Amino acid sequence: MSAPEQSGPPTAAGALRRLLAPLRGRLMIAVVLQAVSGVAAVVPLAAVAEVVRMLLAPPVDEGSVWVAAAVCGAAAPVSLLAGTAAVVVTHLGDVTLQLALRRELARRLGGLPLGWFSARGSGAVKKAVHDDVHALHYLVAHTVLDVTTVVVVPVAAVGYLVAVDWRLGLLSLVPLLAGCWLFARAMAGAGSKMAEYGHAVREINQGVVEFVDGIAVVKTFGRARAAHERFLQATDAFHTFFSRWAAATTPVTTASQIVSAPPVPLLLALTVGTTLVTSDQLAAPDLVAFALLSPGVAGAVSGIGTRLQALRTGGTAATGVVSLLDTPGQPRTAQPRRPDGVTVRLRGVAFGYGERTVLRGVELDLVPGTVTALVGRSGAGKSTLARLLPRFHDVTAGSVSLGGVDVRDLDPEDLYRAVGFVFQETTLLRMSVADNIALGRPEASRARVEEAARRAMIHDRIRAEPRGYDAVVGTDVEFSGGEAQRIAIARALLADPPVLILDEATAYTDPHAEAAIQQALSAAAAGRTLLVIAHRLASVTGADQIVVLADGVVAERGRHEDLLALDGHYARLWRAQQPAVAGAPTARQETTP
Amino acid sequence: MIRTLLAVLGRPGDAALRRLLAGLIAAAAIQGVGYALIVPFLRALLGEDPDSAWPWLAAVGAATAGYAVATWYTQSAAYRTGADLAQVLHHRLGARIVELPLGWFGAGRVGELTRLASQSVLQVMSVPAHLLRPVVTAAVIPLAVVVTLFAVDVRLALALTVALPVLAFVLTWSNRAVGRADAARDGVSDEASARLVEFGQAQPVLRAFGRTAQGYDALDAALVAEHDADRALVWRTVPGLVLFSFAVRLVLAVVVVLGTHRVLDGTLDAPTMAAVVVLMIRLIEPLAAAADLGAALRMAHGHLAGIRRVLDTASLPEPVAPVRPVRTDVEFRGVSFGYDDRPVLRDVSFVLPEGSMTALVGPSGAGKTTVARLLARFWDADAGEVRVGGVPVTEIGSEQLMSLVSMVFQDVYLFDGTLADNIRLGRPDATDEEVAQAAAVAGLPSPGGAQTHGELPAGIHTRVGERGVLLSGGQRQRVSIARALLKNAPIVVLDEATAALDPENDAHVQRAVGELARRSTLLVIAHRLPTVLAADQILVLADGRVTQRGRHEELIDAEGTYQRLWQSWESARGWHLLPG
Repeated sequence: MSAPEQSGPPTAAGALRRLLAPLRGRLMIAVVLQAVSGVAAVVPLAAVAEVVRMLLAPPVDEGSVWVAAAVCGAAAPVSLLAGTAAVVVTHLGDVTLQLALRRELARRLGGLPLGWFSARGSGAVKKAVHDDVHALHYLVAHTVLDVTTVVVVPVAAVGYLVAVDWRLGLLSLVPLLAGCWLFARAMAGAGSKMAEYGHAVREINQGVVEFVDGIAVVKTFGRARAAHERFLQATDAFHTFFSRWAAATTPVTTASQIVSAPPVPLLLALTVGTTLVTSDQLAAPDLVAFALLSPGVAGAVSGIGTRLQALRTGGTAATGVVSLLDTPGQPRTAQPRRPDGVTVRLRGVAFGYGERTVLRGVELDLVPGTVTALVGRSGAGKSTLARLLPRFHDVTAGSVSLGGVDVRDLDPEDLYRAVGFVFQETTLLRMSVADNIALGRPEASRARVEEAARRAMIHDRIRAEPRGYDAVVGTDVEFSGGEAQRIAIARALLADPPVLILDEATAYTDPHAEAAIQQALSAAAAGRTLLVIAHRLASVTGADQIVVLADGVVAERGRHEDLLALDGHYARLWRAQQPAVAGAPTARQETTP
Repeated sequence: MIRTLLAVLGRPGDAALRRLLAGLIAAAAIQGVGYALIVPFLRALLGEDPDSAWPWLAAVGAATAGYAVATWYTQSAAYRTGADLAQVLHHRLGARIVELPLGWFGAGRVGELTRLASQSVLQVMSVPAHLLRPVVTAAVIPLAVVVTLFAVDVRLALALTVALPVLAFVLTWSNRAVGRADAARDGVSDEASARLVEFGQAQPVLRAFGRTAQGYDALDAALVAEHDADRALVWRTVPGLVLFSFAVRLVLAVVVVLGTHRVLDGTLDAPTMAAVVVLMIRLIEPLAAAADLGAALRMAHGHLAGIRRVLDTASLPEPVAPVRPVRTDVEFRGVSFGYDDRPVLRDVSFVLPEGSMTALVGPSGAGKTTVARLLARFWDADAGEVRVGGVPVTEIGSEQLMSLVSMVFQDVYLFDGTLADNIRLGRPDATDEEVAQAAAVAGLPSPGGAQTHGELPAGIHTRVGERGVLLSGGQRQRVSIARALLKNAPIVVLDEATAALDPENDAHVQRAVGELARRSTLLVIAHRLPTVLAADQILVLADGRVTQRGRHEELIDAEGTYQRLWQSWESARGWHLLPG
């Protein structure tokens, strides 16, 4: 059974060794303390056995009896203190390790390409940094000590028992060995069964997701029964699998449990012992030691399963943590160069996700103080192109430069100070409104924060909150989509980057807000190099340069009038938009009496 | 714990569990009797005539055999019960999910239910097989020993009667202390988790503002807080963890010292003293085993409580004899509704005439979505009635109501299949032509369509990815509309997209909405002018009340919310992005 397991664990063991390296010294100390505690836990029982032996074999040497009783009493606090110290050492070590690992992981995550996040979702971040690191806790804080106890206690007990009577001492090993053998038999083939188990559980998960995720749709379209059926099928399949597995292994595991639980080893020791006593091969008082200690020797068997499970879980978690630590981040230059000016140049830029090419051969200059609009159908690559500037992704070919320096050779600090971004999907963080606005300029005074909010047309709304700028987003106050957008704009105004990228939102949850947002955007645009991802052509007719993307290449570029005259992609987009946005209401209004 | 288990199982599902409990108690009682019999056995063996110990040993042997047989049967029964328990819980959860009001399924419910159906059920499943036995053993053995001892030696039995409750008390107390400390820590841990999720979700904005380069203080603070809480927890739980073993050792030491003293005094015979000590150790063993299970028990209890919360959630009452309405007009009659104690709708009344199109407008938070959801009976109104064809929705029955109403919401549910598969969800028995036609009307690629859809390489047979990740926001909404077109329900509720739609997309959506309006009674939560202008009736919702109603021409000249909305739309349309 060990052969197939050997192929998997080396990586898990390697991962554990690497993650636990900083704790090695402390863990050694803890193991020693725990071993002392384990031995000291056996000592009182041995001392009691000695007390009883002496009392049973007159004449009694009172002095010796009291010494043995004192040892029994004294060993208890020693065991307790050493054991407690061991627990404290591992727990404190674990706590320190967790913080160090989490900080390191958060630092790594900050350097990963954004694509990593969009491919996995924020749940993966939580799982790796929080859950996986936490899964190590049991291993570090408990299992290491448990394993020590499981080994030390039987060894110490058997050692003493052999000293009392070697035949009965060795006999006490029989239930332990029998229990281990049976347990190993029960575990044979568990690897493939565990895989099947995992599969069955995943099926249940999938069944739930399918069932619940679209419950509104599923119910609306009268499909609740079908989804319910699939869920029940998955659970019934699990039930059948598990029942069969349990039925097949229960006899062996139960047998292992019965031979190693106290009654059977006890009966064994007493029966053989009585035979020896009645045939005068053993002094009766000696049997007391076996009645006290031999049932505990095999007790270790019952713990093997959970310890193995803990080791497996810990190993899996460690592998996850290590693989994240080893995920290559975006390369950072060792010798950053300072940009000369803020002109942005894209030269021969190509980019793709995996095998899918999104952009090809893009050439583009953003001259300081000008407005450039990116237009095109959804999926043409507008957002992707804009995201190359702040290095959310790195180009797969060509270069993006700022002030004559490739963005990859810039200090990240210089880059984000130069390039700002107002997203279509605004993200407010769970911190005060003031801190949200000052995200890029944490040192900004309250007066400057309020000034930015005023220009973004959101100051009055914030002031209306009882806690004003100190209101915590998500706790004290919820902002509507339009309000959040204006806060995001205030954020950009305060950060005051010379190059600003606006991902223009086309629709707003609240028409009231729409006009205010447009005004706020105009304020943000003033005097900067502006790159606008435009969905509504009408709002960018005045741009200095309109770049039309189609299928990842620049199809057309020029000013509004020139592009209309060209009668190509842009003209088609423009015409498509006319009736939908401007034409219909006017036509209807004319019919109004 | 056991009571909750029985309650969750319900009758007659709990019969097996009850039988199992009886079996476990019997096994532990026999084990306890066996332990107690060691006392007369040791006395005999250590006395004048060791041979007189044989009958007692035979009795111990018989008890051990009884214990082994009982354990053999109960353990396989325990696995069976566990597996059956899991199945019952799965089935009850499944039935519950079908019955729960749609309004219950908010954000995070998928995660919660997935956790409950897998992790929690599996944890609960392990209770009969792994937790019940040690707990029952720890409770029953001491009792059985004491009872048996009264027959053997009254003084010993009395001494144990005093010592055991003390140990049991210490065990319970220390378990509670650790449980309390753990619970206090959970809050801090949740905060750190939430910050991590935020950290993942907010990556773009954090990077754009340089906060990953400098470190994100809020996350670091949460991580440090968790570290500090964990550190404090170590000091607070250690006393709880060691207290029981300390008490046990103390009791043992006291017994040894007192016993020795009395033996030396001559008031106690040495064999009895030896028997008492052996019995003490045997009693302590199951208690210590149970003490180690404190955390596992607390966890299982938490999982069970989570399952129970869902099972105990009230569902909407279903009519005994559902009435099928003949007409498809909709009426809200004095409807009021609130979430918890926050009122959302107050005394809302309106009629959607059969085959008409109504636009619902108003500032965000006015209650527009709630109106749509009450029509589809996500919840029942707190006061007033929602009627379809004159029949209150509560008398129509959920399933039938669902067959009458199509909902096109913004959070479009897509499963990992082709575009066609996802559209076909609208009507599983639809022909390929019907699917293609619905797709074409909604502006999605269809086999005969002339459109170029560079981003959907395989047209209608393109796979959409898990939850439709491979589609754009506009495409997802069009799938949702195509479904509604295919289902062809007499009533359609449409929440117009607020997500980004490019102009072309917009045109497709407008056309499809026109088609829906032609076929059905249509209620649109409108965000776009053309939709509002095309409506037969506009309902203006403000602060949970219908403040204005009529056609555009009737509303535009009256001062009020509608005029203000209109002006905002107008000024936004007139806006041009010009640096200045």
